[in-house]
Amino acid sequence: MAFSPRATLARMLLMRRFEEMVITLARVHKLGRQHLAIGNEALGAAALMQLADGDLIYTTHRNHGHMIARGVDSGKALAEILGRAGGLCGGKGGTWHMTDPALGFQSTSAMVGGSIGLSVGGGFALKHRKTGGVAVALFGDGALDEGIAYEALNIASLYALPVLFLCENNSKEGEAQTSRLATKELTAVPRALKIVCASVDGGNPKAVDRAVGAALAHVRGGNGPYFLEAQLVRWPGSHQIVHEFTTGVTDVTAAWDKAKASNEHAEWQRNDPILRFAHDMIACGALTREDVVALDADANAMIAKARTFAEASPFPKPEAALAGVFV
Amino acid sequence: MPIKSFAVAMIDALAHSLRSDPNVVLIGAHSFLSDRGLRPEDERALWDAFPDRLIDPPTSEGVCTSLVTGAAMAGMRPFLNYGTATFAFEAFNQIMSEAANVSLMSGGQLRAPMTLHMFAGIRGGGAGQHSSSPQAMYANSAGLELVLPASPADAQGLLRSAIKSDNPTVVITHTRLLSMTGEVPDGDFSTPFGQARIAREGRDVTIVATSLMVREALKAAEALAQDGVEAEVIDPRTIIPLDTAAICTSVRKTGRLVTVDEGNALCSIGSEIAALVAEQAFDALKAPIVRVARPPVPIAFSPPLEAYVTPNADKVVAAVRKTMQA
Repeated sequence: MAFSPRATLARMLLMRRFEEMVITLARVHKLGRQHLAIGNEALGAAALMQLADGDLIYTTHRNHGHMIARGVDSGKALAEILGRAGGLCGGKGGTWHMTDPALGFQSTSAMVGGSIGLSVGGGFALKHRKTGGVAVALFGDGALDEGIAYEALNIASLYALPVLFLCENNSKEGEAQTSRLATKELTAVPRALKIVCASVDGGNPKAVDRAVGAALAHVRGGNGPYFLEAQLVRWPGSHQIVHEFTTGVTDVTAAWDKAKASNEHAEWQRNDPILRFAHDMIACGALTREDVVALDADANAMIAKARTFAEASPFPKPEAALAGVFV
Repeated sequence: MPIKSFAVAMIDALAHSLRSDPNVVLIGAHSFLSDRGLRPEDERALWDAFPDRLIDPPTSEGVCTSLVTGAAMAGMRPFLNYGTATFAFEAFNQIMSEAANVSLMSGGQLRAPMTLHMFAGIRGGGAGQHSSSPQAMYANSAGLELVLPASPADAQGLLRSAIKSDNPTVVITHTRLLSMTGEVPDGDFSTPFGQARIAREGRDVTIVATSLMVREALKAAEALAQDGVEAEVIDPRTIIPLDTAAICTSVRKTGRLVTVDEGNALCSIGSEIAALVAEQAFDALKAPIVRVARPPVPIAFSPPLEAYVTPNADKVVAAVRKTMQA
């Protein structure tokens, strides 16, 4: 599928407005810890929009963006985050473990490194059953601190499993470190195990689209696993426990309005992948300012509808806590 | 009925599963198949018949567990053999946090039909790291079925059921049972979960024993019979699900209960059975319940030290005498 600036920006805006709604709902409903994917939209959208039916996805506690990027129903996702019966998992997974098998989501593991381990099982099954599908592991740089990552990379390479390891690295030099590896070059680890690797600017959707396209072609071609490091800029609120609009509510007009771009959030706004992408697409003539405003309005309308659905959904019956442990 | 060893009966269950379902794979094949008493030509034939489905993985218990969990979620029916049970502790996170949670935390959308097999128990000279009886830990998982076969026939039938089960299932084989021989029905068969076996009928005391301890309990029962004490020996066969009714029915008949479990006494399978009987059949008890188990200490290497803490028939006899005198 050819890269579409319009569809990609639309999906990125939906992801951002979703997370902003999570902040709002977390305050209204006094929700516990959420791991927001603000700032990761370029990678999530451009990567997950390329997946096909039959591909399997393994994600982490920072999963909301991945779900929305793949096209999961935002109302059911918000309902799950609120623990409602109408949520994706009937309220039993919550933000931690949301999943939607119909779109290929196998698991949200909130164990650091969990998605990497499970993904090789998916890859093993896809290879054994000769489906041509790809298992995609999404994880942060911190997951590479875990032993399971090393074991999983080794076995994926050893058995030439169809797995795309997609690392969201938001531990750039000088910032708060979520990984404490003896090497700053994350791809050195998989490369030592004979896995083909690449790195990409995870804030640039066009570059991500190209890099993921090449990676998927490699894996689908039966050439074994591929490790793609997406370098992301950490959103200053990514570690928050009390949910706040740390960098304000996103204002898309800051993509071209110089006055807005020099406010107290200026530093973040220079790196914000949504504002960057909107700015670049307007500059190259692919989109107009009016297009961007209209796409943003659509996203806000969809998320408002999703909120209405989620808040109207009842809590599950208490005794449902006992059901479904076993098949 | 043919006579088979416990080990060969298990291998036969696996061979039937491999033949009947192309989604069955055995990860950790070498330590499951080799030196287990198969005729060399039979072992070779198995490896030849399933070259892509008998797999010797790297020594990576964590990712092997993730691999079978992910593969099971994606439609396969894998069987993972860890070898010695303590090796599975390397994968405790993957077993407890991933496999056991698949069904519930997805709201029933996903399942993990997988079998995790391990060789456990005080095997003689295993010392601190090769003598574990970890059944109670798995019983506490909430989300795993737990199977403890105690005879060759059950080894085959229960293993076959474990592989067919749509739930993640832990099967613990006591190493000292592997050479045990016994009658095993012909052909392919399954033994249902949640149905206890009455290994010996008796009127005076109920002994509930698991795994290798069933054999010790039966030895004890023969010794007690010399003195006119008739013990009923119940083998639950599966702990999750547990046949509580069979245990309570027996206790209502005998009025006395001794539990025999090789795990640590603290929060053990024996503790759970004692608690269930106290809750559900207290009125039938004529004497306090007695538990036979290992004391909660790591197993020391030296033979007399190991023997001192290992539950056996003599300890069961002493426990029964205690409850008969009370």
